Amino acid sequence: MPEIRVTPLGAGQDVGRSCILVSIGGKNVMLDCGMHMGFSDDRRFPDFSYITRNGRLTDFLDCVIISHFHLDHCGALPYFSEMVGYDGPIYMTQPTQAICPILLEDYRKIAVDKKGEANFFTSQMIKDCMKKVVAVHLHQTVQVDDELEIKAYYAGHVLGAAMFQIKVGSESVVYTGDYNMTPDRHLGAAWIDKCRPNLLITESTYATTIRDSKRCRERDFLKKVHETVERGGKVLIPVFALGRAQELCILLETFWERMDLKAPIYFSTGLTEKANHYYKLFIPWTNQKIRKTFVQRNMFEFKHIKAFDRAFADSPGPMVIMPGYCVQGTVGHKILSGQRKLEMEGRQVVITPTLPPPALSHACCDTAAGVMQVEYMSFSAHADARASCSCGQAEPENVLLVHGEAKKMSFLKQKIEQNSVGKPRRGRACEGGFSRACADRARHLAEALSTPPRGQLLYAANGETVTLSTSPSIPVGISLGLLKREMAQGMWAGHAGWGGAAAGQVAPQTAPAPAPAPASQGYSRMPRSPGSCRHPIMKDSNFRLVSSEQALKELGLAEHQLRFTCRVHLHDTRKEQETALRVYSHLKSVLKDHCVQHLPDGSVTVESILIQAAAHSEDPSTKVLLVSWTYQDEELGSYLTSLLKKGLPQAS
Amino acid sequence: TPSLIMDPECSRLLPALCAVLVDPRQPVADDTCLEKLLDWFKTVTEAGMGEGVTVDFPQRPDRPSLLLLQENPCLVELLFRVLKAHDPRPRVLSFSLRLAGLFAAQEDCFQYLQVSLSRAVDTIFSLQGDSSLFVASAAGQLLVHILALAMRGPAEGHPSPQGCDWPACAQKIVCHVEDSLRSTATPQVTQALNVLTTTFGHCHSPWTQGLWVRLSPLVACLLEKDPIPASHSLVDLLLSVARSPVGSSDCGLWETLAQTLSHLSPTQAGPLALGILKLQDCPQALKTQAFGVLLQPLACVLKAAAQAPGPPGFPEGATGDSITVDTFLSSKSACVGLLCQALAHLELLQLLPQRPSPWPQAPLLRAAVAILRFCHGSAAPTSDVGGHLCAVLAGCVRVQRAALDFLGTLSQGTGPQELVTQVFAVLLEYLTSPDSSPMVLKKAFQATLRWLLGSPKAPSCCDLDPHTQLFLGELLPVLRKRLCSPCWEARDSGLEFLTQVTRHWGGQAAFRHALLASEVPELTGQLLRDPESYVRASAVTATGQLSSWGLYATPTGPEHPEVQQESLFTELLHILSTDSEGFPRRAVMHVFTQWLKDGHADVAEDLEQFVARVLQAASQDLDWEVRAQGLELALVFLEQLLGQPGSRCPYAVALPEAAPPATLAQVLQALCRVQLFEFALRALFDCDRPVAQKSCDLLLFLKAKATPCGGPQEAGASPDVVSVEAALQRWQAGEQGQPLGELEPEAVMAVLRSMDLEGLRGMLAKSSDHMEKSPQSLLQDMLATVGVLGENEADCY
Repeated sequence: MPEIRVTPLGAGQDVGRSCILVSIGGKNVMLDCGMHMGFSDDRRFPDFSYITRNGRLTDFLDCVIISHFHLDHCGALPYFSEMVGYDGPIYMTQPTQAICPILLEDYRKIAVDKKGEANFFTSQMIKDCMKKVVAVHLHQTVQVDDELEIKAYYAGHVLGAAMFQIKVGSESVVYTGDYNMTPDRHLGAAWIDKCRPNLLITESTYATTIRDSKRCRERDFLKKVHETVERGGKVLIPVFALGRAQELCILLETFWERMDLKAPIYFSTGLTEKANHYYKLFIPWTNQKIRKTFVQRNMFEFKHIKAFDRAFADSPGPMVIMPGYCVQGTVGHKILSGQRKLEMEGRQVVITPTLPPPALSHACCDTAAGVMQVEYMSFSAHADARASCSCGQAEPENVLLVHGEAKKMSFLKQKIEQNSVGKPRRGRACEGGFSRACADRARHLAEALSTPPRGQLLYAANGETVTLSTSPSIPVGISLGLLKREMAQGMWAGHAGWGGAAAGQVAPQTAPAPAPAPASQGYSRMPRSPGSCRHPIMKDSNFRLVSSEQALKELGLAEHQLRFTCRVHLHDTRKEQETALRVYSHLKSVLKDHCVQHLPDGSVTVESILIQAAAHSEDPSTKVLLVSWTYQDEELGSYLTSLLKKGLPQAS
Repeated sequence: TPSLIMDPECSRLLPALCAVLVDPRQPVADDTCLEKLLDWFKTVTEAGMGEGVTVDFPQRPDRPSLLLLQENPCLVELLFRVLKAHDPRPRVLSFSLRLAGLFAAQEDCFQYLQVSLSRAVDTIFSLQGDSSLFVASAAGQLLVHILALAMRGPAEGHPSPQGCDWPACAQKIVCHVEDSLRSTATPQVTQALNVLTTTFGHCHSPWTQGLWVRLSPLVACLLEKDPIPASHSLVDLLLSVARSPVGSSDCGLWETLAQTLSHLSPTQAGPLALGILKLQDCPQALKTQAFGVLLQPLACVLKAAAQAPGPPGFPEGATGDSITVDTFLSSKSACVGLLCQALAHLELLQLLPQRPSPWPQAPLLRAAVAILRFCHGSAAPTSDVGGHLCAVLAGCVRVQRAALDFLGTLSQGTGPQELVTQVFAVLLEYLTSPDSSPMVLKKAFQATLRWLLGSPKAPSCCDLDPHTQLFLGELLPVLRKRLCSPCWEARDSGLEFLTQVTRHWGGQAAFRHALLASEVPELTGQLLRDPESYVRASAVTATGQLSSWGLYATPTGPEHPEVQQESLFTELLHILSTDSEGFPRRAVMHVFTQWLKDGHADVAEDLEQFVARVLQAASQDLDWEVRAQGLELALVFLEQLLGQPGSRCPYAVALPEAAPPATLAQVLQALCRVQLFEFALRALFDCDRPVAQKSCDLLLFLKAKATPCGGPQEAGASPDVVSVEAALQRWQAGEQGQPLGELEPEAVMAVLRSMDLEGLRGMLAKSSDHMEKSPQSLLQDMLATVGVLGENEADCY
């Protein structure tokens, strides 16, 4: 059975280092090539040695596809292409191509500058890697080679993020990458057509979190920022991901405009600033509102937001808002995991997890014991549980969940499964002692899942290979004449779904997936075991059904004939020729539907059956009829023999 | 480095963590934490091993690994419970297996764990088939550890192959491997082969010989099956055995290898053939056979491309056999795969000292050229196979890349002139062709460069030989065209090529003549304003290189070289001050540093002016690499004034340890004039660590040069010193503030002497995340995560 194999090398049960290997129709594709921020040795990159034990990666992989510019999806790319040595094509959208090197440079800076690592990829390597990139447009079918094609769809999430369909013959996989089903302030919602892939690979990072409505979240955020600023405090917002920075900037800029606030907003120079340049450039990739506003002004030209100056770092009442995930080993991780005291640059800092009493808000970090107020707010652009379920848009046959921790994945799996069986009962979600609001969320989730997968719901841990058997449909050409003949013989009767020139499906045991046959020929659905007079022929990668005669002719072969023979003794004193003539007349009268011929050499034929009369060597009054027929005419041959054995009618 | 001692705090936290790990209801922090935990245990156990002495001195009192196990029974408990659990979580299982492996690698710990491990061997067998690659691989590794340690001691000598004197545990593992090798299920065979590969790779004790004697008949049986199961793993095993001491003593092995080579398909046999050719000692006949396997595909190509019976081809045994031809004809991907593999293997082989000799350079060249022509559609094949190759390879980027790389590597050898001409012709075809993809074009440029630089010089005048000159005449117009390409990759690859050629041939009259006659230098100048920053950076490097050789022409013409240089310097300085992207600015700094090192004529003209202007521009740059490069340039300047920091060449004229006072005073004056001090002192508190480090090194160098000879001292607490110190404090606090203005050398030196630069260097050497790296911090984080994850979930649902 042909199969699709998927091995997450870095994603799956782990945040970061997304890298998924897909084998489909004999082609090997790597989806994303991310890094893990939690390590500072080679483990920050996926373990590529698992891909191929003793072959070169370049020979093994047909292409690499990058879904978007975040480092957990592209951070290992220069290492992979320049240090491991992958020479093949790397596909990504144009905005990703533009912003990716900026992030890679920044990553290099953190590794080399901040952590002092040697043996890291160089700027030259980043450039050489980017030279291998082939940019793709949305909805453009890109032919990687004769058999492998890919197509990008809008994924929201961040500028240039795309979902990719990977197709070989009639088999296909859709990889969603990170995506967002609800439009935000600068991007639209993900969209994909009903491409009905065999498998949809999707993320589940924020699977269990059905986040508060966006509006609430934003209102909360602005309120907290505003309060702190009003108190004379300062707010530090370390934005984990590029794209979120832009989102928050638009949010703050609009709020400042509306409230006519004067407090300055500073924007860290460097990375985000550089990326902003491209945000201005790739306006067509943003949402409708920004595109409309663009006529009057570019939303990314901020009026209130200025470049950041380090001198403003220390001052009273600082507050930190953590807008997303932090990896172990960072201050952010400690703060988020609830540790209350931290040492930073030799100072003790006390963290207050909620809004502090007024007395504390005046405390300042300059003193030996600084007090800092911390808020966690999710602004992540990952699909949440509700959105993950709506990936049914593509109507996939099977769904595979990757990216995100194991337990959360099993939760999401359970949610989707519940839906595919039927909507969960309202009371059921409450059984565990959950609140009513939670039950309502579960119901929303259930409703969002419009089209559950028809087949299996799978999930893969890191290093775990998921194999999916497929029945690829292979277009087969057949001439109209043969098709009509076959129909007339009723060989195809009762086989559903075939039509004169409609594309159909076959399931041969070992056939490779060929390119589509010429359009001039009709296609038909072929039964599993073809009848005796249709022969599949594979030529120039085209699969055709032809008659056996045609097949023999094209292959330059002569047919092997199997003939049965039989001797029938007749009492007849006349000459052989006359006996033959009598046989002819008799058969002619009996077999009205068959073509009975009397040949010049005296023999008689009925279809393939040959009858010759000869004198008996010992008894002149007995004639011997030599009857021979082919295997195909076995029925008629047997009948004729038994007929002749009964004797000939007396001549009138 | 993580703490090597288990401190009380860690000991207190460890049981709680182990409890979390074995509890299936508790969420586990992400894989990173477990990996880091393993790292820590690894450092602890490795510290105990002390370069393998544990084995020799098992009674050594300081055995931290064993102590760790004994004092923290929760670890053994964890291993035992996870291995016995019905449905352990893969990440915890993988962690536990690897932890067990870490400890089991040491004899004392192994003895301690032996009871648990021996009981768990059956579990480990089944884990070899785990759906997680990581778990399966860890289980295999653990089996090898257990086997190796079980075989130590009583069976260390020359145990009988039958294994009657082997320990029960080893007996059990080997029997399991035997059963697996006999299995009809490929995954089982693969597991057994992988365990053996690791065993022969890591264990070189005499008992492995007995193991091979016992198992080789079973391995040989695999070869008789059709298709051969787990062929990749089989190849790995055979090579692993061949590399081990077992290989050199077993003649049967060479026969098995020869047999395997002939049984495997051409694609499967490739890696084995390469592996055999890499072996140090192996029979010549086997090497010849292996080389034949690698050459087969190229022999087929040569045969297919031949118009008429041509010159002698490959050595006997590589004549393009029917199996290879069949592979070529079977499908496009098989054909492309086999060709790419063969090219890659031969490329690797060519670079090895033990490559076959004589090396068939000429036929290989002909084959590479033929493949490139097939890909390009410029071949006119007469045979059926040739026609097929033409159809399959036309436009195949994958083969083009592999063939160009291979052709480039072949430039290390020579070839008959007629062939070299063909090589250049086909390279020119690729450089010219509009169909060449950016990647192919880049590789074509690289291969061309290698062939050009490898081409022989004319014996008489040390100039380029006539053929090369002729080729240059054709190449430069193509390069010119590529520099105008709409595709940035093409422009960039063209500029990189130009830089490299100029670096090597800038002094060759023929090259200079041809280059100046082309429009290439002018175009390079125009690319300084390219919209793509990568291209601008490459153009900066290229013009810098051209200018170093006096090859950069501007509209002013060659009759006023000084005007030209001034204009390029100004232009580059303008890029340094205004370009919005870091790459061109970094490139400018590299060019300037190189100019300073080389004593570029126009730099030398007004050295101080040059250094002052460059440092001023660099000091304001937002890119840390530009600032770091500024310090690099400052150091070059300093070295030119004061001498190399560590020049201890015994033949060199002995330099005084420090410069004489008079000179030093002049030098310090000069440094003040170019404002090098202000630049360096500011950089000392740069928020980017490498910049601060470089500055610290530079100032330490200066301090060392200036101090011994006394120099201008006793500046005391003059007003100058006070203002410098005040400025330093402001900079340290992160304020940029006002510039220092005019500085007195005495004041600067006084400040330098009073500063603890060594202490600062020590602090800067620490990574920014050093504080979060301790094992306690890790354990705390992991335990903290448990609570938080629970809370969040309750919050959501």
